[in-house]
Amino acid sequence: MAVMTYIDAINSTLHEEMERDPNVFVIGEDVGKMGGAFKATKGLLERFGSERVIDSPLAEGVIISSSIGAAMAGMRPVPEIQFVDFITPGMDAITQQAAKLRYRSAGTQTCPMTVRICYGGSVGGGLYHSQSNTSWFIHCPGLVVVAPSTPYDARGLLKAAIRNDDPVMFFEHKKLYRSIKEEVPPEDYTVPLLKAEVRRKGSDLTAISYGYTLQLTSQAAEQMKQKYGVDVEVIDLRTLYPLDTDTFLESVAKTSRAVIVHEDNRTLGVGAEVAAVIAEQAFDCLDAPIFRVTAPDVPLLPASSELEHFCTISVEKIVSAFERIMAL
Amino acid sequence: MAAASDFIIDAVSSEGPAEAHTDHFDPDVLRRLYVYMLKCRLVEERIRILYRQGRFAGNYFAAVGQEATEVGATLDLLPEDTVAPSHRNFVTNIMKGTPLPLMFAHLFGRKASPDQGRSAPAHCGYAPLNVITPSSTIAAQLNIGTGIALAYKMQRKQNVVVALSGEGSTSLGFWHEAVNFAGVQKLPIIFVVENNGYAESVPVSLQTAVEDISAKASAYGVPGVSVDGNDVVAVYAAMRKAIQRARSGGGATLLECKTYRWYGHSEIDPAKYRDPAEVEYWKSRDPIPAMERYLASEQLWSEQWKQDLTLEFNREIDEAIAFAESSPVPQGDEALDQVYSFSIRDRELKRKTWSPRPERGSSWRS
Repeated sequence: MAVMTYIDAINSTLHEEMERDPNVFVIGEDVGKMGGAFKATKGLLERFGSERVIDSPLAEGVIISSSIGAAMAGMRPVPEIQFVDFITPGMDAITQQAAKLRYRSAGTQTCPMTVRICYGGSVGGGLYHSQSNTSWFIHCPGLVVVAPSTPYDARGLLKAAIRNDDPVMFFEHKKLYRSIKEEVPPEDYTVPLLKAEVRRKGSDLTAISYGYTLQLTSQAAEQMKQKYGVDVEVIDLRTLYPLDTDTFLESVAKTSRAVIVHEDNRTLGVGAEVAAVIAEQAFDCLDAPIFRVTAPDVPLLPASSELEHFCTISVEKIVSAFERIMAL
Repeated sequence: MAAASDFIIDAVSSEGPAEAHTDHFDPDVLRRLYVYMLKCRLVEERIRILYRQGRFAGNYFAAVGQEATEVGATLDLLPEDTVAPSHRNFVTNIMKGTPLPLMFAHLFGRKASPDQGRSAPAHCGYAPLNVITPSSTIAAQLNIGTGIALAYKMQRKQNVVVALSGEGSTSLGFWHEAVNFAGVQKLPIIFVVENNGYAESVPVSLQTAVEDISAKASAYGVPGVSVDGNDVVAVYAAMRKAIQRARSGGGATLLECKTYRWYGHSEIDPAKYRDPAEVEYWKSRDPIPAMERYLASEQLWSEQWKQDLTLEFNREIDEAIAFAESSPVPQGDEALDQVYSFSIRDRELKRKTWSPRPERGSSWRS
């Protein structure tokens, strides 16, 4: 067992997958000689050469769509989008091409591509280095959207994504890269796509999150136990689309209360869909309204510290929502 | 016989196939160019009739008048080569060898269609022969084609990609990104711009200030060539050079074919934005009779041969239509299939309701 940061898990997994399958290659801005803006692709160029580690032109549309074409022709591309804030030039390629290719060809032309995307705020990045934008992609049937919250999952889900035959949008929170470490087994394991995970067992309240805010939600759950003896069940969605609804519905049937936490905007965020599913399929289970802890509906994230702080999720904000739903 | 690479392609000539182009080509190649143009014309004119008869829904984007470009640009492709078509390249399937019954099943939205009824009528792809299923977003196919060319290069294959688009596509950033990347990576791809004068209703003079779209190639370090897109031999000769260049690792080429769209943008467009005299001029430059005149001068064509071909193709079309019309349409719930590599049927069709668990809740109060 090695203790790994999230970024170590991503980097070592890329090495292993490129070693395992000669069809796997990476392409993106600065992924080669520089090893990536966050060093996720460090060492790949030296090990695999410039044909499989491609420093692309500064054009997200090219990064994505050349990956789509290569995937169609039998490769397993792992393009990197340095910041999700810059993904818009690639939107036609992602939403109109990658997402629809299998469907529009009745399964005869497919796109096994894993788009690694750095997302998220709370680092003072300002309006164009802090966005989440996960909802843009969970409105696109044909895409799988993943957001791991731990190094163990980052490794297992990245392996699963690369080996999967669908286009996967793989969201990595920049604040997770170096802020947490955990023991990661060296063997070749995968974490299943489309499967949520119960991170903390509890009987009083279901808290649903993913990515960086999952870590904050788990801390808030601990505080609830210490302060009030309230047992919060924490569910990590892991795959945001298509959703594993059974795991959180089962939990809500047990706890009767649901709080959803994410740092993306409130309206039509993942939480809106989770809340709708609970209301549709577990209405009788509820003893309280469904709560959402999200960013407000403003462009994310304003740079100045007080503005940013106002918009971002904190343990205190989550605890406060827990207290309200428990009428404490 | 001189090698094709010896040819100097002159820019637009207005007289149809000129001997200077053609005397180096095998008579069989010249005949095939003609045969395919005739077939494409017959197929598309029949499709237009079927549409007006209401025998298929949606819309159709005919390339009638542009056959010299459609055929000349694709005659030399191998089954393993890829075509990245736009909405106006339905007949590219004929060139690649997609079975005609499947093409008509596609128009009619039948289960037997290569895409089992998902895409619009003009958007026919065929995976076994590497015809990318088109979308409607302009120029997207060029970048996907570039990715396929990238894979061919990585896989050390000798195959090429032909990416087709209209002159309107050259106004999009995506077009430039594709040509630029192909230039940087020396990819085996040929960008064929069918300049038919209009992007829906907008004339080429409002798309670009350059006379020749091939001029844009110089910005990306790839050769650019403009040819008379109604001269099938000129298109073929230029394309042959470009394909050889791509196959031998020489990289991409941009080929502009100046041609004309006889009809509207689609079957619901009367194209009243054009001067009728302009349309008549271009109809007088119909690439098919032009090739007939040339072939006849070489004793390679006769009226009887044309009639025989026409009968044969019409019979083939009749059979394809009969197959398509007698084929079943997909079941409604097949709309749920092939969204992913896994099924979403249960997710969509079996949504259960959850009830409170008897052991639940409120233990924290005690």
